[in-house]
Amino acid sequence: MEATGGQIAKETLELAFQISNMLETGLDRHTLSLLIALIDRGINPEPLSAVVRELSSPPSRTQPSSAFSSSTKP
Amino acid sequence: MDDTATVDLVRELVLRLLSPGGRSSTASNNSSDAAVRYALRLLSSRMSPSVIPDELSLVESIKRRLALSGRSSSALGFADLHSKLSARAPLLDRWALLYLLNSLSLDRHRPESSPASGLPFLPLHPPHPPRTSASSIAGGMTGGGVLLVAKDPENIREIALREYADLFMEDNEVSESALVRDVLYACQGIDGRYVRFDRSTDGYDMPESLKVPKPTRSIVRRLCELGWLFRKVRGYISEGIVDRQFDIGTVGQAFCSSLQDELVDYYKLLTVLTSQSANPIPSAGSDSGGGAGNYLSLRRLAVWLAEPTVRMRLMAVLVDVCGELRGGAMAGAIHSHAQHGNPLVQEFMGRLLRRVCSPLFEMVRIWVLEGELEDVFAEFFILSQPVKAESLWREGYQIQSSMLPSFISPLLAQRILRTGKSINFLRVCCEDNGWVEASGEAVAHVGATTRRGGLGYGDTNALEALVVEAAKRIDRHLMDVIHKRYRFKDHCLAIKGYLLLGQGDFVKYLMDIVGPELSEPANTISSFQLAGLLETAIRASNAQYDDREILDRLKVRMMEHGDGDRGWDVFSLEYDARVPLDTVFTALNMKRYLKIFNFLWKLKRVEHALTGLWKTVKPNYINSCIFANESFGVKLQFVSVLRRLQVLWNEMNHFVTNFQYYIMFEVLEVSWAHFSDGMNSSKDLDDLLAAHDKYLYSILEKSLLGEGSQSINKTLFVLFDHILRFRSLADRWFEHIHELQHRRNKSKLKSKGELGKVGSLIDGGRKALLQFSRDFFGKMSEELDKVAKEYSAALHDFISQLPLQQHIDLKFLLFRLDFTEYYSRVSSNK
Repeated sequence: MEATGGQIAKETLELAFQISNMLETGLDRHTLSLLIALIDRGINPEPLSAVVRELSSPPSRTQPSSAFSSSTKP
Repeated sequence: MDDTATVDLVRELVLRLLSPGGRSSTASNNSSDAAVRYALRLLSSRMSPSVIPDELSLVESIKRRLALSGRSSSALGFADLHSKLSARAPLLDRWALLYLLNSLSLDRHRPESSPASGLPFLPLHPPHPPRTSASSIAGGMTGGGVLLVAKDPENIREIALREYADLFMEDNEVSESALVRDVLYACQGIDGRYVRFDRSTDGYDMPESLKVPKPTRSIVRRLCELGWLFRKVRGYISEGIVDRQFDIGTVGQAFCSSLQDELVDYYKLLTVLTSQSANPIPSAGSDSGGGAGNYLSLRRLAVWLAEPTVRMRLMAVLVDVCGELRGGAMAGAIHSHAQHGNPLVQEFMGRLLRRVCSPLFEMVRIWVLEGELEDVFAEFFILSQPVKAESLWREGYQIQSSMLPSFISPLLAQRILRTGKSINFLRVCCEDNGWVEASGEAVAHVGATTRRGGLGYGDTNALEALVVEAAKRIDRHLMDVIHKRYRFKDHCLAIKGYLLLGQGDFVKYLMDIVGPELSEPANTISSFQLAGLLETAIRASNAQYDDREILDRLKVRMMEHGDGDRGWDVFSLEYDARVPLDTVFTALNMKRYLKIFNFLWKLKRVEHALTGLWKTVKPNYINSCIFANESFGVKLQFVSVLRRLQVLWNEMNHFVTNFQYYIMFEVLEVSWAHFSDGMNSSKDLDDLLAAHDKYLYSILEKSLLGEGSQSINKTLFVLFDHILRFRSLADRWFEHIHELQHRRNKSKLKSKGELGKVGSLIDGGRKALLQFSRDFFGKMSEELDKVAKEYSAALHDFISQLPLQQHIDLKFLLFRLDFTEYYSRVSSNK
């Protein structure tokens, strides 16, 4: 049975979502799709997971991030 | 990485992550920009995972984690999903995705653990309360970042396991794979990093300072025993091949080379094990399952090395046993260890022994078939010494029992020795080459080959058969040569006839002719003259019809003489036996013959003396006419003296005759009959020599010439002396008597012629004659009494000593001499 590319992508996403649920990562579908897209582009999963980890923190950490942002301001 | 599409994606991701409820607006714009920038920086920082991108192992580890945390159903579900995913999207970088998800989920469940990515801050508490996940986080975090947060109460087992693993890792300074590698080095005799050969304890060991748990230490020590054994065996081999190359002999070299062959198998095994040990071993606490491939732990090593240890132990035992041995002794020692029930050991020993014994068997074969000793290193059990031709048989070759291997019985060794000796004997002494056919026949009969290596260790039976056949044929050939070509029997007969006085007429003539010569002092006799007389005697008797070759060997020999010796004491005959018969008639044996000859000659002389005396003394008419015309007194005296003389003569004659009869018939003839039988039945030269020695020995014993009979021998010679003195005395007397008679007759005639004028002379003569005769006869009877007494004493002495002799045949002598027990009764009456 021939499936279209979109269908395949949808099924893939579905499966990946189920896996991620099983592993209790706490990601939702949209985020997961973005992550998959990024991985497809060849980004290493390690820094990606670091990003996710960092940016999933509560907003009380905006201060250090602003410190960062201030240091990175050109 | 910096293409716009990626950047856009990142931006969107960041936005989504920052505001989970949906896109928010301005308040987070700045921070979102900053965040985006931060994210981009992170992504471009080239952080890469520290694990090899192996999808399967990752899947396994995830499954295990799920199973261990008590959600085995989830594990199965995950496996299912994964397979579906692989089916659906083969192009997707599943590993990366899984890694991502895994790390995120790990991160969620272990917020307190060590920083995975080196970020400067850590979340202080679980980040997002509302989760769609089914499980609840128990939140029991305790300090000391070792323990896991327990999700289910049933995780105690996992906790305990991890506790144990960590303790184990603490205790272990050295990893197991390093130990395995070191043990493998030790098994080849090389010192490893931790396991070294300790000379003081003579074993492989790890230093005490090393922190290794006790069981590991003990197992390592046990495995290193193999290394110790290997060292020993290899030391022996290298010593044998390098140091003592020219000393160890062919058997030793064969042994070393067969040990080396066994070691090749061992090296192969070690190589395989070494290659296996390069694969990683999962330690007790690690999660990665390792591949499904082989890995080597100390226990697996122990199983693999069990059989080689047995074999190496066997080899080390043999090396110990063989130590300083060489040649046949080494083969015998190894053979004694081959008697073992274990079929593995038997097969091993069989292989070894076949190679070790092949030089020996080869040597035996060549010795038995050709009589050559190819023994450069003195390993064979037959030694040869360079000797003269006549002692070749007796002393040329000997068995060296220290080199005799235990699977060759002493009887077989004797046969082997005799066969080779016979070949050499034939070759050297008899100059005969007929034995070559005999060897060839023997080989053909047995079916063995004459090539090298035809016989091996297991073929002791074949060897024995070959030796027996060869021995039989060669012995027969040797006997043929000795009897036919060298006429051994004829020579023996000749010796018996001449040296043992068997040829009676010859001896009588010889004595008659040579007798007067021999009465002279010894130093005035010339042997040339005697030789001439010998020839005369030979020609005068039946001996002249004997073979010239035999007669040529008969010679006169004068022994060494001191002062005062008469010819009788130094005269002897000699028979010259040449090679090869002088193996039988050695110098020692000829001396024995000489001794016997002297004895017999003396006996003959005594007999001759007595018979000569009888001619004078016998009671015939002549003697009765002596003093027939004299007065009664003189005649009576004469007759009584004469009678007493005759009686004494009779006694002596009785003794001498019986003694001679005993010697001639009981001793010589009987011994000869036995010897003849022995000669006919002997199959080889050893038997013949034994028979001949027995013959001589029995003659010596029976004729009182042995060592045990020396005292009685002396008594016998004293007797002989008495007899001879008696003869000379009697001769003198009769000379006197005849002279007296002659003078009397002369005076009688004179008196008849000149009557009256010489009457007074006659008268005076008669009175003088009476007086003279009275004196004379008185003296004569006195002397006769003395001789008689001495003779009787000596005879009693002799007869009393006779029963004390060992040999049973001397009882017959006693029986003959004392048939009526006259002497024993007389002696008991005394």
